[in-house]
Amino acid sequence: MSGWELFTWITVFILGFGAIVVFVLFIKDITQILKKFQKEKK
Amino acid sequence: MYSIATIDYIIIAIYLMGMIGVGVWFAKKHTDFDDFFLAGRSLTTPLLITTLISTYYGIDVLFGDSQLGFTDGVVAWFGYARPTYAFFLIAAFFLAQRLKEEDFKSLPDILDKYYGKKTRYVGAITSFIYSLPALSLYGFGMLGDVILGWEPIMGMLVLGGIALVYTLTGGFWAVVLTDSIQFLFMCVVLALAVPFAMNFIGGFDKMIDILEPSYFDTMGDLSIWLIIIYASTGLAILVEPTFYQRIFAAKSYKNVRNALIIGIFIWGSYDWIITIIAMAAKTGVLQGILPTDVAPDAALLTVMVAALPAGALGLFMAGVLSTEMSTLDSYCLVAGGNVAYDIYRPAIKPDATDEELIKKTRYGILLSWILGLAMAVSFDQMLGLWVFMASILISSVMVPILLGLFIPRFRKALAGFLSAGLGLASTVILNIYIMMTGTFDVMEETYIIQWFGIDFLQEFIMYITVPISLLGFFIGLILDKGDRS
Repeated sequence: MSGWELFTWITVFILGFGAIVVFVLFIKDITQILKKFQKEKK
Repeated sequence: MYSIATIDYIIIAIYLMGMIGVGVWFAKKHTDFDDFFLAGRSLTTPLLITTLISTYYGIDVLFGDSQLGFTDGVVAWFGYARPTYAFFLIAAFFLAQRLKEEDFKSLPDILDKYYGKKTRYVGAITSFIYSLPALSLYGFGMLGDVILGWEPIMGMLVLGGIALVYTLTGGFWAVVLTDSIQFLFMCVVLALAVPFAMNFIGGFDKMIDILEPSYFDTMGDLSIWLIIIYASTGLAILVEPTFYQRIFAAKSYKNVRNALIIGIFIWGSYDWIITIIAMAAKTGVLQGILPTDVAPDAALLTVMVAALPAGALGLFMAGVLSTEMSTLDSYCLVAGGNVAYDIYRPAIKPDATDEELIKKTRYGILLSWILGLAMAVSFDQMLGLWVFMASILISSVMVPILLGLFIPRFRKALAGFLSAGLGLASTVILNIYIMMTGTFDVMEETYIIQWFGIDFLQEFIMYITVPISLLGFFIGLILDKGDRS
């Protein structure tokens, strides 16, 4: 496996796995924010 | 138009309906203008990462990077994409912290505080012009044509209209939420596309064997001057209105810093994968498994349509639409804020209520969309138009904003006004002059004029106008005896 190929698979991992992790954390945060948002509205 | 299966159309339709649903859901949930325009200043690191990445990467990056990757190889990443990460680092460690120290809502707010109302209005006008979604709407026309076989105007109206609806109704909350879904689509689908593309051409080693060695030369045949010019395009980040809006909307400086540092890894990976898939497309052409007449900017779509199975292709197409929708919504919202918060309130109604400001922001969003549409259907050379819009912003506000932020004794009204005014005037005059008297070079995709025996490209205008803005600033500094610091 060449250095170029290895680098490519590392970027695939960062982009794919990284995006999923960030999105999961996003869901966690947005859920809390929206709950707070609804409380303030009431 | 490419051949697409029914399941792919269903996926695209579900995605588009979901975007409208988010906007409608947020329609009446705003409590005040801060909530509508800055999401209540409550964005955490994950929210910032998703909205920053999806906003900055439109189809100009998707097709621009892939075009260079297709024709020149890895230099697309090393020479063109990589230098911009340095500006993201500067923004993460210096600019963001300074911006979070004060209670700004918009970029013209900074100009107002340091230099007064007149400079605020110049900043608001330039920010509004820069944020007009002409390029995004043009992109939707192209995508509608390529993906769905529609007339370009239909793609602009329908696809651009969907982004308009959820931005108008849901404000920044809807933008952030849709950006996050779009972020996931953009990134995961592109990552999944790599194994399919490699399998299609027979593996990575095949690509190394078939492509010329120059495709793997990190700096290609770019001169140092061209690299400096490419690198300086990243300067825009330092005065980007949507970037500033996200900093102001962040919960804290640390959230912005962390989002940018993590974001650089994702941006870098995204750019690299686009480059590699475009190189795979070139390999496919040389192998004879892709048509020989593939246009470089269509290389990415062509290889994906050929390599991806039904269903996965629909996700990829939704990812491409996501890339552009997330850009259009953010710029329309900023332009709307320029109209309502930066011009209407200070100039016409200083005691405007939050409700009125939200209403006027919606009018501004609609106005920017209509003007963007008019430009998208009227201009032939969208790249020239984009250079014009970007150079207006950088040339008029970069000098007064950066000097005002970091050097308090430079905050003098005349300095800011002359800098912004001369930067704006010189950019407009030079751009119009070059677009009217120069010739459009199809290869370079830009207007060129002969000055003193050298080819002067439209992109070079900033190397004249930014120094003019700087000169204006120091003239104003000498002439102005007042002190705003």
